[in-house]
Amino acid sequence: MNAPKIPLPELMTSGHLACQGCGATQAMRFALKALGPRTALVLPACCWSVIDGPFPHSSLKVPILHTAFEAAASTASGLKAGLEMRGDTETVVMAWAGDGGTFDIGIQALSGAAERNEDIIYCCYDNEAYMNTGIQRSSSTPIGAWTTTTPGVHWKKRPKKKMIDIMAAHSIPYIATASVAYPNDLIEKFRKAREIKGTRFLHVFAPCPTGWKLAPELSVSMARQAVTSKVFPLVEVTDNGRTWKVWKDFEPTPVKDYIMAQGRFRHLSEEEQRFVAEGIEQNWQYLLSREAGSSFVPGLQH
Amino acid sequence: MGEKITFKSFKEMPICAMSVADMTYNLTGSWRNVRPYYDFKVSPCRLGCPTMENIQRYIFLVTQERFEEAWSELMEANPMPSVTGRVCFHPCMEKCTRKDFDQSINIPAIERSIGDRGLDNPGWMKKAPATKKEKVAVVGSGPAGLSAAYYLARRGYPVTIFEAAPSLGGTLRWGIPEYRLPNDVLDRVVAQIVESGPITVKTGAALGRDVDLAKLEKEFAAVFVGVGLSRSRPLGVPGEDGRGVERGLDFLRRVNGGEPVNPGRSVAVVGGGNTAMDVARCARRSGAEVTVVYRRTMNEMPAIKDEIEEAEHEGVKFRFLAAPKSIERGASGPLTVHCQQMKLGDPDESGRRRPVPDGDASFALSVDTLFTAIGEEADDAPYAKLLERDGNLVATKGEWGETSRTKVFAGGDVATGAASVVEAVAAGRKAAERIARMLSGEPEPAVEEPRTISIENINTAYFTKGKRVLVPRVPLDEALAGYREIHTGYDDRMLRREADRCFSCGVCNFCDNCWVYCPDVAVRRLENEYEFDYDFCKGCLVCVIECPRNAISTREEGK
Repeated sequence: MNAPKIPLPELMTSGHLACQGCGATQAMRFALKALGPRTALVLPACCWSVIDGPFPHSSLKVPILHTAFEAAASTASGLKAGLEMRGDTETVVMAWAGDGGTFDIGIQALSGAAERNEDIIYCCYDNEAYMNTGIQRSSSTPIGAWTTTTPGVHWKKRPKKKMIDIMAAHSIPYIATASVAYPNDLIEKFRKAREIKGTRFLHVFAPCPTGWKLAPELSVSMARQAVTSKVFPLVEVTDNGRTWKVWKDFEPTPVKDYIMAQGRFRHLSEEEQRFVAEGIEQNWQYLLSREAGSSFVPGLQH
Repeated sequence: MGEKITFKSFKEMPICAMSVADMTYNLTGSWRNVRPYYDFKVSPCRLGCPTMENIQRYIFLVTQERFEEAWSELMEANPMPSVTGRVCFHPCMEKCTRKDFDQSINIPAIERSIGDRGLDNPGWMKKAPATKKEKVAVVGSGPAGLSAAYYLARRGYPVTIFEAAPSLGGTLRWGIPEYRLPNDVLDRVVAQIVESGPITVKTGAALGRDVDLAKLEKEFAAVFVGVGLSRSRPLGVPGEDGRGVERGLDFLRRVNGGEPVNPGRSVAVVGGGNTAMDVARCARRSGAEVTVVYRRTMNEMPAIKDEIEEAEHEGVKFRFLAAPKSIERGASGPLTVHCQQMKLGDPDESGRRRPVPDGDASFALSVDTLFTAIGEEADDAPYAKLLERDGNLVATKGEWGETSRTKVFAGGDVATGAASVVEAVAAGRKAAERIARMLSGEPEPAVEEPRTISIENINTAYFTKGKRVLVPRVPLDEALAGYREIHTGYDDRMLRREADRCFSCGVCNFCDNCWVYCPDVAVRRLENEYEFDYDFCKGCLVCVIECPRNAISTREEGK
């Protein structure tokens, strides 16, 4: 056998309650492999508060503190402070929230913690809607997508919120996006985050076959195509929000292939698909301009 | 598996809402309606190889730097990888899946490296003892004979090889020039085969002259005839017999024997096969201007593509659509070769377009020597009485080399007509297997239709486009200055780099993807394999898609 591609120790067990092909579980497994057993999790309401299992069972081998939807970052801040008061400086505290709990409901607490530069990792696993409660739109749902609250012709008309920009505006030491399709990159970023003090924000793309009307076996393949079609660029922001790095070393694939493989986009006409693709290209150009060091480019469509 | 905790009273509960057990009581395998399972296929390259070498496997072993195992794997199918790695026409590369992605894997170069390592490590060959009583005679020591002898000896049968020439190798020794297959490599290959088991060698023993087939049939439990084709076909034109016209094979024999040759300043070679290319290139090395005269065009040439390219590279000229019709000569000085201009007509039984005379158009060439290399034929005198023939070849039934006599088997060119080294090796091995089964009474192996894959089954996201690692070659002026081997072979780094390009079609190479991506932690990573944990596998089939090489198949549950 070759050397393992990712660390061997498992901190997540089988038997959890995630759907078939769930990206969020892959994200958790990889993240914990990177962070190791001295990790404490704070979970607001999200898929993972169900996936983990019913009391008194847990599919994770690290402690989890379940908390209210809006409170992940503040609870994590408090937990970290408590641990420090008891002299434990080694345990990493990670808030692990979905996109609803990050982009929408939890943004106040997150902004507060980031502004205070609390010594926590905040990870948003992004499946682009409130999947756990029945696929309602969030501000992370991409433009063009169907959800139960953006049905039929009322598909989502507004673009995904630029969360990385919001976090960069807080001048925190480390921000990165990662994808479950690139486990080594993901693990490397979590390891890097572990070694940094202050608020570290990680945004992990985690496909949801159920909510995206996607065959479960295509879950990882979609996550990969999201990166190669520039829908979800892999970005690292360091130097307190000033230095942006965009990963470009991939063979580009068409946006159309990505969106049309998913039922949630299948209603889009050719023209609407082009419109979505244009927005994605603009966002890519915008990221490149951030990387090049230029300031915000006004007049963006999305 | 964990246990499900059920609290019967408040007293049993922890002081706060905390977990006390994991989720492994929950057997999520019951959610599954389709089951993935490891299901290895046969790589297309292997199906393209006449000897069915397990190419995927030995390349995989090279990537693991398990060279001795790679060599053993190779020797299971082919006892002379150092030879075929140099001279084979590599049909495997045509089948290589990577061909449809960037460029096929340089399989012969890898094969050669492994074979040469086997020659450099004599300890790898463990001599097989004579465990069987039945003696087998092998007549002819070309690729077919050596292969048959090897696989019989490895099974413990005492083998006697009868060879007409003073040393073993047959066409490998006399028909292939040293710049493609150096004599010292061939010597070492032959020695390795002869040393591999209970093999006795009788040289200077020509069939029909020194040994009699009917007598061999009586004295031995089985006889394998692999005497090849020994007669050059004549051109059949006026003026062919006489000064200045020589059979190409005789010329090659003299060159390979180290005799000095001087074919003159200008030379024509008639023919389009490998012998013609070898003759042309040897003549180039003696300083001649060489023109190959072939009656069809380059597309129809039976020679290995690489050889044609090499010949062109070395300055051999080609005159296509030309057929000699008469040769004139004076008392001394150059010959005049009158040629008929040809054109291509309808396809013949080989599927190639037949050359037909193009009216009266003709031309003449003035050359010092004309070599004929339009093919060889069998000298059937030694076996004509005993064996049924097909033309003047030995008639065989099926792929196992059986002839009209139960105890006599045949393979290689004498049974198939002019073919290739690798086909002869395959024929020798198959005949050996059949002979062994006949002598031991073992049952025939069950033949299963092999399942293979194609580029559509490869997840190309896991591969980066690149180029084949070329085998380094000596500069042209050095190559033409003598008969030293042109291709110098891979170094360790090149070998590893090329081996790493292999897709490992249809067979697990422990890339970890199934284990890495399983959302349910239901793939167990064991010492030398992976295992699905069907108690927990939910049947999402992410592993099936993310397996880059289609080593996982699916089936519906309950069916």
